[in-house]
Amino acid sequence: MSGYTVIIVFIFVAALSTLAWIFAPKENRTVFRSSVILCLAMCYLMWAITYLAQLHPLEAPRRSDLRPEKHD
Amino acid sequence: MSLVQLYVPTEVSRDIIYQIGQLNLIQFRDLNSKVNEFQRSFVKELRRLDNVERQFNLFKKELDQREIPIKTFPYEHSIVAQSDIDEHVENAKLLEDRVLQLIDSTDSLYQKQKDLKQFKYTIQAVDHFFAANYAQQESYEDSALLSQLEAQGSSDTHTASFISGVISREKVGTLQQILWRVLRGNLYYHSEELVEPVYDVESKSYVNKNSFIIFSHGAIIYDRIKKICESLDADLYNVESTKNLRLGQLTDTEIKLGDLSTVLSQSENALSSELIMISRDLAKWWEVIAREKAVYKTMNLCDYDDSRKTLVAEGWIPTDEISTLTSTIKGADNSQTIPTIINVLDTTRTPPTFHRTNKFTNAFQNICDAYGIATYREVNPGLATVITFPFMFAIMFGDVGHGFILTLAAFTMVYNEKKLNAMKRDEIFDMAFSGRYILLLMGIFSMYTGLLYNDIFSRSMTLFSSGWEWPENFKVGETLHAKSVGTYVFGLDPAWHGSENALLFSNSYKMKLSVLMGYVHMSYSYVFSLVNYVHFNSVIDIVGNFIPGLLFMQGIFGYLSLCIVYKWTVNWYVVDKQPPGLLNMLISMFLSPGTIAEPLYEGQASVQMFLLVVALICVPWLLLLKPLYYKRKIDQEAHQYQQLPTDEDELSNNEVDVAHDDDDEGHEAHDFGDIMIHQVIHTIEFCLNCVSHTASYLRLWALSLAHAQLSTVLWSMTLGGAFYTPGLLGVIMVFFLFGMWFILTVCILVVMEGTSAMLHSLRLHWVESMSKFFEGEGTLYEPFGFNDLLGNVL
Repeated sequence: MSGYTVIIVFIFVAALSTLAWIFAPKENRTVFRSSVILCLAMCYLMWAITYLAQLHPLEAPRRSDLRPEKHD
Repeated sequence: MSLVQLYVPTEVSRDIIYQIGQLNLIQFRDLNSKVNEFQRSFVKELRRLDNVERQFNLFKKELDQREIPIKTFPYEHSIVAQSDIDEHVENAKLLEDRVLQLIDSTDSLYQKQKDLKQFKYTIQAVDHFFAANYAQQESYEDSALLSQLEAQGSSDTHTASFISGVISREKVGTLQQILWRVLRGNLYYHSEELVEPVYDVESKSYVNKNSFIIFSHGAIIYDRIKKICESLDADLYNVESTKNLRLGQLTDTEIKLGDLSTVLSQSENALSSELIMISRDLAKWWEVIAREKAVYKTMNLCDYDDSRKTLVAEGWIPTDEISTLTSTIKGADNSQTIPTIINVLDTTRTPPTFHRTNKFTNAFQNICDAYGIATYREVNPGLATVITFPFMFAIMFGDVGHGFILTLAAFTMVYNEKKLNAMKRDEIFDMAFSGRYILLLMGIFSMYTGLLYNDIFSRSMTLFSSGWEWPENFKVGETLHAKSVGTYVFGLDPAWHGSENALLFSNSYKMKLSVLMGYVHMSYSYVFSLVNYVHFNSVIDIVGNFIPGLLFMQGIFGYLSLCIVYKWTVNWYVVDKQPPGLLNMLISMFLSPGTIAEPLYEGQASVQMFLLVVALICVPWLLLLKPLYYKRKIDQEAHQYQQLPTDEDELSNNEVDVAHDDDDEGHEAHDFGDIMIHQVIHTIEFCLNCVSHTASYLRLWALSLAHAQLSTVLWSMTLGGAFYTPGLLGVIMVFFLFGMWFILTVCILVVMEGTSAMLHSLRLHWVESMSKFFEGEGTLYEPFGFNDLLGNVL
């Protein structure tokens, strides 16, 4: 997993959006296209931001309430 | 939108207008705006219908009083013949007379009944009074006097030796006080409560009353007492002073009372059966009359031609519906000798704004319309709102569990749509119901963002392999640091959940998320303004408004967003450099341009200098270009028309202006000062808003953090604690605390927090997004139709 995942998923989402554009139903075409593509874009953005934020972490999780697993 | 003109032959005008009303397509223009409301053509008809409505209102009042429900069925309405309307009018008149007569007679009967009842009680009270005093004759000396009085009364025919009557209970004290003061204590007063309240016809309510007896002496004083009693609304009755005569009076009254109540119940029955009959048809009649009224009101907007043979109507209609209109009208009057003519007019008037919606988009459109009606042909913000509104909400409300509850509630409403639609809903439920598709999308997106935040009722899920590894060997209580082994594929790493520095990470993550989302949302909205300018062919707006604004915004906040993303992509441990603080970087970009304390990339100083210069150039560009362009244009026009108009010309021009004023809107003339002031305001507003709106999007961060923290606190305060209690007590605690946790989750976290997140999302759309492109100077398209004419009466 590396930063390229973001680009690969972008291509995937762009492809999906294109499909949504092409195969939009006749009725309410504009609403369908705008809604589906906008929805895909926002979901992608949100995921990408979350993914990128953890890509090269500057901070590691820290806790002191862990108990060692018992190996009997 | 097209402006159509209809020439309707007078004979069929009513029918044609009725048909158009059923289509619900045309918004009629008022062609008689200068004519007083009372001088229009169909005032007489409207008066008549108003009178019928008044009569219906009377029926409704009576029905409500007797709590008889008005039956409403979905009636099939076709065009009602004029003769039927006349029949309705006649019918309403007859019914009104009959109902009023019945009400009158029952009221007078009630009045009689009240009188008799009060008389009866007075007799009884007098009886009691004398009986009680006889019994105590030995112990009281003054009662001997009473017996004397009674004995005297029996021999004397003069009956007014005492005054008796009935008075409302509230006034008993007043009566007593007044009598005491007026007669200086020279009286004997006794009062007794009536066992049942008496029905009062005038106020239509039951009133508690008292009967009283007053003894005094002297005819003048009695007169005075009578006057006092009458002024206090007391009813006085002559009661015989001897026991036997009183008995006769009592039986007499009771017989009369018995007769009266039979008559009364009969007339009551007649009245209510009449009213029940009315209640069956009232809704239908009312609908017919209300439609008729709407038709005449519309016809009042129309103009007559000179010979008064045809009615001329003008109205706005969606251009693609003209064929529907034509075919409907053709079908209606093919029997007529003079056909109805439909003309499409060329006009410079601004048509009303019409966005065709369906049940899904309607609620979203309403959100935007609540802020302002879009200017005609401008980008409809409702289209983007369909997704952005629920998504912005979801960023603040991200939790799989809470989102699921919301989705379920919304889905139930969507699933039972037909049933709920037919139901009568109260105000709050109606609001939720009309926004059911918004709620559904909000719920679904909340589940998505919940997955990304890795929150389900504030707990975390490990769906993929974590990117962090905890060390194997350690002692209890040792502080541990996890080791990075990869990146969690989807959403927030569950390893953060419960760690000591979880907030440190999620704070930074959510803050940057909200800045990025805000930047993207604003840029997206800003592009709409380009779409508007392109549509209206306004090159000066693109060059003088859009481009400098875009450069300014992208140069500062686009750059910041780019830096945020770039900083994430660099592995700062590998390059072995101190990661720079981006906020400080942005501040020092303005305060000390050219100096970089912690470099993010090479050549940063020159890039930032360049961007700063561009931003600084953009401000005067935005401020001056457009006003100067218009000034040039105004000057040119002034050169072209140098010849001054003579007085005569001016006069004739004015006449033409007045004549045209009715038909077409003149172009608004702006002088340079107006344009300049407008542009100065726009520039200041735009530049400041770039900063303040970006900051405003930080509410996404604040609310999502608050939501997550609140749900964590709720969990640990209720259900979370119960799991640590062992034994039977633990079971009971889990049982009850679950109930408490669930109720509080729904009430506080879903309903209350949801409402607040929704309001914030609303604000982000109205202020932050729509201010980038929305003019909102349109008027709503309100076609003439018969929908919901009786919404607020029945």
